[in-house]
Amino acid sequence: MSHIVTIQTEVRDVEALGLACRRLELGEPVQETVPLFSGEATGYAVRLPDWRYPVVFDVERGQVRYDNFEGRWGEPAHLNRLLQSYGVEKCRLEARRKGHSVLENQLSDGSIKLTIQIGEGHAND
Amino acid sequence: MQTIEIIISTDGQSRIETRGFTGSRCRDASQFLESALGKVSSEQLTAEYHQCVQHPPNQLRQEN
Repeated sequence: MSHIVTIQTEVRDVEALGLACRRLELGEPVQETVPLFSGEATGYAVRLPDWRYPVVFDVERGQVRYDNFEGRWGEPAHLNRLLQSYGVEKCRLEARRKGHSVLENQLSDGSIKLTIQIGEGHAND
Repeated sequence: MQTIEIIISTDGQSRIETRGFTGSRCRDASQFLESALGKVSSEQLTAEYHQCVQHPPNQLRQEN
């Protein structure tokens, strides 16, 4: 062990977002302008289970917009699961692009652990 | 063996830990994931990092 980094996820990759939606059996994200309770939002919209309004990802800015009225119009856990799945799929995509192998394990607290094994030829990529 | 371990919590926050790298090479190794995932909110350099980071470059090569 030599280096530990904590990262707040920003959704900027449409391919990884699509894979995350597939993983959770949600519909494909669609680029559109949708109405929220206050105003409208443009970006990749995802319909979460039992959410009144879609969640909209502005992948250019890494921003997410939604209106769930502090949980009354949509369970925040669904959005968190989508962000978690996005992180998993984004890491898998990036590792694959580098030619590294990835192992995935579900942990008892609900976290997902990915172990990327660096091949000798890729150590300094 | 050189590995990068990522734990993605249920709220989407990621924790990346490098293993088996010497000195600052761990930073280079995980950089592609850090920039791909989002904003770094904290970083912790471990004892292993500090032990190796001050070695001259030729010594680093011999270690690997």
